[in-house]
This record gives sequence, structure tokens and C-alpha cells, in this order.
Amino acid sequence: MQKVIETLLIGLTTGSIYALMSLAIVLVWRSTRVVNFAQAGQAMLATYVGFEIASRSGVFWLAVLFAIVAGALVGAGVDYFFMRVLFKHANSGPAAVVAPVIATLGLLGLIRSFVGLTWGGEFKTIESPVSTDGYTVGSTTLPFSPLNTLIIVTVSIILIALAILFQRTNLGLALRASAYAPEIAKLAGIRTARTRTIGWAIAGGVGAVAGMLNTANNFLTPYSLDLLLVFGFIAAVVGGLESMVGAVVGALVLGIGLTIILNYVGTSLVFIGGFAVLILVLLIKPDGIMAKGKGRRA
Amino acid sequence: MESWRKVRDVVRKKIALFVFLGWVLLIVGDRVDELRVYQGAQIAMYTIALTSIVLLTGYSGQVSLGNGAMMAVGAYAAALTLNNLQTPIWFAFLMAILVSALFGALLGSAAARLAGPYLAGTTLALAVGLPAIANQFSFLGGEPGLIFDVGFPPERFGEEFTQYKWFFWIASCIALVAIFVTSNILQSRFGRTWRAIRGNSLAAELAGIHASRMKVLAFTMSSALAGLAGAVLAMNIGLVAPGAFTLALSFGLVTGAVLAGISSLPGVVLGGFILVVIPEIADVIANRLGDADKLNSYLPGLIVSVLLILSVIYTPNGPGENLRKHLRKKAAH
Repeated sequence: MQKVIETLLIGLTTGSIYALMSLAIVLVWRSTRVVNFAQAGQAMLATYVGFEIASRSGVFWLAVLFAIVAGALVGAGVDYFFMRVLFKHANSGPAAVVAPVIATLGLLGLIRSFVGLTWGGEFKTIESPVSTDGYTVGSTTLPFSPLNTLIIVTVSIILIALAILFQRTNLGLALRASAYAPEIAKLAGIRTARTRTIGWAIAGGVGAVAGMLNTANNFLTPYSLDLLLVFGFIAAVVGGLESMVGAVVGALVLGIGLTIILNYVGTSLVFIGGFAVLILVLLIKPDGIMAKGKGRRA
Repeated sequence: MESWRKVRDVVRKKIALFVFLGWVLLIVGDRVDELRVYQGAQIAMYTIALTSIVLLTGYSGQVSLGNGAMMAVGAYAAALTLNNLQTPIWFAFLMAILVSALFGALLGSAAARLAGPYLAGTTLALAVGLPAIANQFSFLGGEPGLIFDVGFPPERFGEEFTQYKWFFWIASCIALVAIFVTSNILQSRFGRTWRAIRGNSLAAELAGIHASRMKVLAFTMSSALAGLAGAVLAMNIGLVAPGAFTLALSFGLVTGAVLAGISSLPGVVLGGFILVVIPEIADVIANRLGDADKLNSYLPGLIVSVLLILSVIYTPNGPGENLRKHLRKKAAH
């Protein structure tokens, strides 16, 4: 029984980090119809900025703040200087379908090599603001630590803030409108191009938090966020790739599912487990677990 | 009858061309040093792998980031066959093709339902997940992997004939055959059908094409080619280990294919060349600039990514396409 609860709690923690990455992917997909494989790179660059601040000031939250700003700037920059140029040029021929996917992969490589050349490949750590030792109940030490609590709380706060932004503000309405029907939104006076760039910035900021939280109990290398990208994408597809609520639910399901595999089946099967989840969802409910019978907009 | 004769003529000419290419490779292989011969074998390996991407992405319009994983399937199939059954080498390569084709057919049935980014993401997950399986089952050898030894070159080639030259011969022989077969498939009914589906799958279906079945077929053939490339890679490095089939390999293959023109079969040789040469160039630059360690690890990636981004923006259909457009413009004037 105790192991079951532990598994659930750990799964919830990893799942909530996946949720942020998955949200970032969904935000970009909704506005631009591109799965942004560079999201991991953007988050990594932002996390390295956070690492610099953290190692100089020693204040974790200041580092998170800077990472968010850096992530948002990088996100907006990618859309403004990169995606716009791409869509202007690569719009015909056999490569038009694959161009965005390949371009974001190239961007991921570019950011990775830039980070590698600047900071090197050594393992970097960002000190966690709270203890990473598990809580002790009676004589047993749980694998669930104050850091895990902190991660869940932080992610919850961000999710609530995003919900308010999207449901209660004009900007949120504009973002939703231009994702849902860009033509009509444009006619209604929304500057869709600018709104899209803002969407990329928000996605970048959210991804940066995912990177920071992932690094607080782990190492940071130019490759350390790749798995986060893969699992974030799987979670986004499980949630239907369109719905932000779906992305979060998908991530939590995935997080708990993978922790179950990790604890009860075998460590090496975690990755292929994620793949199996993805294939199963795509075969059984291709519109995601939150779909209400409406066809997928590809 | 008339058209059949024409086809036979074309195929004959093509066979002559490929025999000539093989002869050129043979001569070149004798003239250069060991390192270059080894790199030649690597180029041949990449060429096969890129052929699989051209078939899949360039013709049937499906993006796969999981070719590295398919190469792993082929490599393990070949190594297990060779080590456990003590078969001749060619049978190991044949098994690599068969097993990865089977695997590709299974995966393709799921993939045919997926469009663009879904497929890309799914195959990305595969590329991350599949090689790690080797750590779970002991008969796959875990992290250190399995030995894959095709043995010494036959004695009748003489004392001078080195191991690497033997690899080079096998690899380029396989590459030539693979490209020959693929180019015939792409010029056949299948190639036209795939292009039709890529252009507009709805219109293709209305014209009576079974689109999803054709997509599965493309995925199967592409996987078979990737598996074959994997077996050649395993031969070149002498072993099969999860560490050889990284995400970087899958990304590198996509990069090579885009750089050389995603739908151009002759381009694969250029692509393979680029993939082998770039680390070499980066190495030279790194040694010039000092601080070789950091530069060595990240400079190749930087060059590849910049090339990839520039080419996807400015020559998305490959350098050949731009050249042709340019020539057409000139001819019109």
C-alpha cells in the first residue's frame, strides 16, 4: 500500500513537470500548427540562464524569474525571426509538409551547439531551494521530498495563472480566437501575427519553468531536457494536441503510468512504455482522451 | 510490347551505369589510405540510410525521426543471426532486411493513420525508446552490446587486402544494389502512386489508390532499407550497442536527406558525403582554434544545424531543384 501511494506521488511530480512542457507544445501547436521540437532547446537555453543567476546570487526564485524572461524572449524571437521567414520561403514543393518539423529540429541542434560551446558539456546543478531528502514518517523515509511538494505547488500556481489569463483577460480571448479561427480573428481586428508571437513567448516561459524544475533535482547538460520534450509531446498527443486541459491531464496520466512501469516492471522499459502509451492512444482515441467526438484538425 | 522494350533498355543502361560506378569505386578504393577507405564505408552506410528517408519522406511524404531505431532493429537482427546461427554474412544482412521490414510493417500500420507532426513525434518517441530495450534483455547484450564480426577478407584477395577495404567493398556493393533497386521502385507504378498521395491524398484516393495501404508499403520498404543500413553500420564499427543508435543519428539522417534534396535519389550520395565530411572539417577548425575538446563535441552540430536551417528555408527541395529552376529561367530568356 505504501509503495502504491509513493508511486502515485512521484508520478504526480514527474507528471506535473511534463504538464508544463506539454502545455508549451500545445500552445505553439494551436497558434502555429507546428510541433515545436526546439521547445526543449529553448527551455534548455533559459535554464542555463537560470543556472548563471542561481550560481551567482544563490536565490532560486530569482533564477526562475530570469529563466522565464529568457524563455519568453527566446520564444518570441524564434517566432519573429525564424518561423515567419520559414513560412515565407518554404511553402511549396515536396518539402513544404516536412519543412516546419525539420526547421525546428535544426533550431534544436543550433541552440544545443550554442549552449554546448558556451557552457560546455559538464554536468551543472542548480541547488534546490528546499530539502531534497524524503519526508520521514515514523522510521521510514519516503522518496517524496519537500522539493516534490514544491514542484507540484509551483506547477499548480502556473496552471491557475494560465487559466485566468486565457479565460478572463482580453489577451487570452485574442489568443484563443486567433488559434481557433485566424481569418475571423483578423477580421475582428485582432493582430493575429503579434498575438501568435505572444503565444510563443508564453510557451517559452512555461517551458523555461519546466526546465528549471527538472534541473532542481537533476543535472543540467545540453542533452538533459530531450526526454522532457519526448514525454511532453506524448502527453500533448494523449491530451489531443488541441486542448490545454487535455495536455495537463495527459501529462499527469503519463507521469503516473511511467512511474508505475519504473517501480513495478523495469527501468529500461520506461521509454518504450511511453511509446506504447502513445501508439495505444493514437490507435484507440486518435483525438486524445479529452476528445468529444469532433474530428481532428490537422 | 513497345513500352516493355523501352523499360528493358532503360534498365540495361542503368545496370551498365551501376557496374561502371562500382568499377570506379574499386579503383578509388585501391588508391587511397586506410582512413579514407573506412570513411568510404561509412559514406556507403549513410547512403543506404538516406535512401530509406528519400523513399519515405521525399516520395510518400511521411516524416520519420525514427530511422535510427529502425537501423538498430536491423543491426540487432543481423548480429543475432550471425552470432547464434553461424550463418554466412549475406544471410545476416538478409535477416536484417526481413526483420526490419516486418517491424516496419507493424509500425507502419499504426503510422499510416498519422499525419505530419503526429508521425514525426511518434517516431521520435520510438527513436528514444527502442535502443533502450537492449538494456532490459540479456540476450541483446545490454549497454556494451553484441559483437558483429564479418570476419577477415577472403584469402584469394591477397595479403595486401585490409580489413577496412573488405568493409568498404561489402558496404559499397550493398549500397549500389540498394540504390539500384530503390531507383527502379521509385520509377515504377509505386513511385508514381506515392507521389500522388504526397501531392494530395484525397485526390489520389478518388483516383482509386488505396492510400493507407500504399503508405504502409512505403514505411515497410523504408524500414527494410534502414535495417540494412544498420547492419552495415554494425559491420563498420564491429559491434551493435544501444549507444550507436542515438537520437543524434536519427536527426543526422534527416539533416543529410534535407541537405541533399529530400526527393532526389542521386542526392543521397552527396548527403552521405556531407555527413562524413562535416565532423572532419569541424575537427580541422577545432584544432586550428585550440580548445579542441569543447569545439570537437559541438562544432559539427553547429555546422550541421546552420546548414539544415539555411537549406530548409532557402532550398527546401534540395540544391538540385534550385539549379533546375535557374536553368529553366535561363532557357526561357
